[in-house]
Amino acid sequence: MLKKRFFAGKGKYTGAAIVALVVILLFLLPPIGISRYYIHILIGVFIYIIMTSSLRLISLSGQISLGHAGFMCAGAYTSAVIAKNFGLAPWLTIPLGALLTFILAFLVAIPFTRLRGLYFTMISLFFGMAVLAINELFQDITGGQSGMVGIPTLFGISKIPYYYFFLALTLVCLFVMHRLEFSRIGLTWKAVAQSHSVASSIGIDEARQRIMCFALGGLFAGLTGAAYAHYYVVLSVTTFSFFTSIYLFIYMMVGGVNSFYGPIVGTAVLLLVQTFARGLREYVPFIFAAVLLLVLYLMPQGLAGLPAQLKSLVQRRGNPPEKEVIGRVP
Amino acid sequence: MEIALVSSVNGIVLSAIYIMVALGLALLLSIMGIFNFAHGAIYMVGAFLTYGLAMQAGINQWAALVISMIIMGALGIFLERFCFRPFGGKAFEVIVMSVALILILETAVVVTVGGSNRALPAFIPGNIKIGVVSVSIDRILTLGIGIALLILLTLLVQKTRIGQQMLAVSQDREGAALQGININRTAAIATVIACILATLSGTLMSSLYFLGPFMGDNMLMKAIEVVILSGIGSFGGILVGGLIIGFMDAVLPVVMNPLAAQAITIGIIILILLIRPRGLFGYELF
Amino acid sequence: MFLEVNNISKNFGGLTAVSKFGMAVAEGNIVALIGPNGAGKTTIFNLITGVIRPDSGTVIFDGRVVTGKRPHTIAAGGIGRTFQLTPLFADFTTLENVIASVYLHSRSSFWCSLFNTRAYCRNEAYALDKANEILELVGLSKVKDELAKNLPHGYQKMLGIARALAVQPKLLMLDEPLGGMNADEIAFTMGVMGKMRQEGMTILVIEHNMQILDLCDHVVAINFGQKICDGSVADVTCHPEVIRAYLGE
Repeated sequence: MLKKRFFAGKGKYTGAAIVALVVILLFLLPPIGISRYYIHILIGVFIYIIMTSSLRLISLSGQISLGHAGFMCAGAYTSAVIAKNFGLAPWLTIPLGALLTFILAFLVAIPFTRLRGLYFTMISLFFGMAVLAINELFQDITGGQSGMVGIPTLFGISKIPYYYFFLALTLVCLFVMHRLEFSRIGLTWKAVAQSHSVASSIGIDEARQRIMCFALGGLFAGLTGAAYAHYYVVLSVTTFSFFTSIYLFIYMMVGGVNSFYGPIVGTAVLLLVQTFARGLREYVPFIFAAVLLLVLYLMPQGLAGLPAQLKSLVQRRGNPPEKEVIGRVP
Repeated sequence: MEIALVSSVNGIVLSAIYIMVALGLALLLSIMGIFNFAHGAIYMVGAFLTYGLAMQAGINQWAALVISMIIMGALGIFLERFCFRPFGGKAFEVIVMSVALILILETAVVVTVGGSNRALPAFIPGNIKIGVVSVSIDRILTLGIGIALLILLTLLVQKTRIGQQMLAVSQDREGAALQGININRTAAIATVIACILATLSGTLMSSLYFLGPFMGDNMLMKAIEVVILSGIGSFGGILVGGLIIGFMDAVLPVVMNPLAAQAITIGIIILILLIRPRGLFGYELF
Repeated sequence: MFLEVNNISKNFGGLTAVSKFGMAVAEGNIVALIGPNGAGKTTIFNLITGVIRPDSGTVIFDGRVVTGKRPHTIAAGGIGRTFQLTPLFADFTTLENVIASVYLHSRSSFWCSLFNTRAYCRNEAYALDKANEILELVGLSKVKDELAKNLPHGYQKMLGIARALAVQPKLLMLDEPLGGMNADEIAFTMGVMGKMRQEGMTILVIEHNMQILDLCDHVVAINFGQKICDGSVADVTCHPEVIRAYLGE
């Protein structure tokens, strides 16, 4: 029953086949010989796919966060600072950074989850800003506005090992997130998102569930941030600004917040739009805004919901599909 | 001593601007239940419109201000009808919409007039001496306008039918609708007022300090801070909240590390959300 | 006594919702809580199940003090309840609604769930079976894959009861279960309640529909947050204050 939702509408095997095909293609790209530039772009896409998906993970429990980049920042700087100042290898500092970010997310979640709905969103927004403010405050360690350089690398100069590393990381993270969402853990979170009073009445400690959900989302973000630090080798606060958090939210909404593949599709499409429109330089934001408006007005379920939407359009012969309420915020 | 006075004057003036912008944001929040993240961009565009009319079309600066307030007010009607109403108060969709708006507005400005900062000349040039401190008349003007606006808005809400309708909608949408109040019209009026307030404060800010295509981003944050601190439901609350944030922004960076000041302000907002989410003076915020 | 409510009171900012209310429910009984709208019946339910804390007074269930405990702890202690207005998880299917409740008694650790261990799979299968059993009992098997929000009103109410039953409660608290049901559905629901009593369950029910009194062992009537009468069906329905509360002077 729960597994039926794995690949809705298309049949279990078609969906799995498509995913397998895409993954194989991605593995084959470097040997085929795409340029360093595109490898770099794809690595960026992988990183932000994990970030957006982890944002969506948190939203499964009904909590929409606008400060998610703060966890990426925490993970990145923690790992970078420890590696640079204490000489530990990135292989050690990356999991360490992820773990410390998890603990941070957990501690922060305890007071934050007392809030619900837009209140929670607002406090998450200011949490993201707080992370940046603290980062700048300790600029002796972190470099503040000028950023941090000289971070030890994970693999050296060539981008190809990084490509496979991030591809593998993305696949593993997505697999775990998928597992979480479609197991009873995810069911419990979705129950909490729909009605915390009913959830409590059936014995779910809804506060604790929301804390765990938030902390896990933070874990993935911290892990990604830490890995990011040892690839880019240079860190600056602007990478983790409020705008980044908002963009993660946008990628999730455009992709479709009700679908597991939403964040993947949304991130990939919007990032690639920004990349390939580069020739238009100052006009890129217009293109981006156009895509946003297109999806907002015409695709209530986001890009990932497009196949289903088209199908029901054909079936209903032109009656507009219902808009589903997102976020199930109580 | 002089620093204290100068800072205080700056504080009050900054507060006046913050209050004007926050009022617009609070109006939209209380009447439509949405967070218009594009409010900062509107503030910025209003300022640029005045600048363009005054500096490039050569119109008298005061007239330019009035004209741009009218134009932006009209934009408000468009926004309410086509950008906010279709999403029926779903705050998260509106956030996506706001981002699209911000991108369009900011890029439009950058593309047409370039990305550098510039300034508007003073509305009334010259300084006045208050005690030992010399204050620009524009600052006094801003203060005066701020106070006048607050009085005007309070009168609007208390004395006019439209104001009472807005009050009713903000307290109970369904109840107001059942009483025959036209919610859409009320929302449109609120948006128009918000846009006018934003334009006015943006223009004043450009003559006091400067204007640039990205000045809205920071002002948006400040407006959100004021709204969270005060809560919605009373103009007086916004007044006090605006004064607190304005003073903190003007005075703290002078007496301590500006980065620490920033962190403290954010910390206070987080605390307010944790301890008293509806703000110091407000009813339910969301 | 299985459930003892002793002198609980609750004030909401000056408005007294419940005032020194007390009652006792014996194990295996069906007890009705009646009173006009706004009398405070749902508030009393909320006070018993931990959704709100009483300002004073205690609630003792199955020998243990539960006053002030959090709702999920009280649910785990053996109280299942329905709600008047939001009876279910709207975006889940009927089956998922019940499975979510069955999970209370088929615990799986986080790691077992994550790694899909054999123990976890066994638990899932058990939960699925139990859920189907309950749906069978309440007559909702045919609609098990329908989204809960698409169900007709009577079915939704039934689903609320199914969900409450799924936590294997010792005490079942139903808030207006018959509201909006047609005659067939009412008869069926009362049949289910009778069956549950036969299996030893204790039931406390808020209800406006007086047909429920046929099932009840005893009745408690309240008005304006205070108890006005407590006794057998015959005693209560003839009590002048109860008649006045419902019919006016």
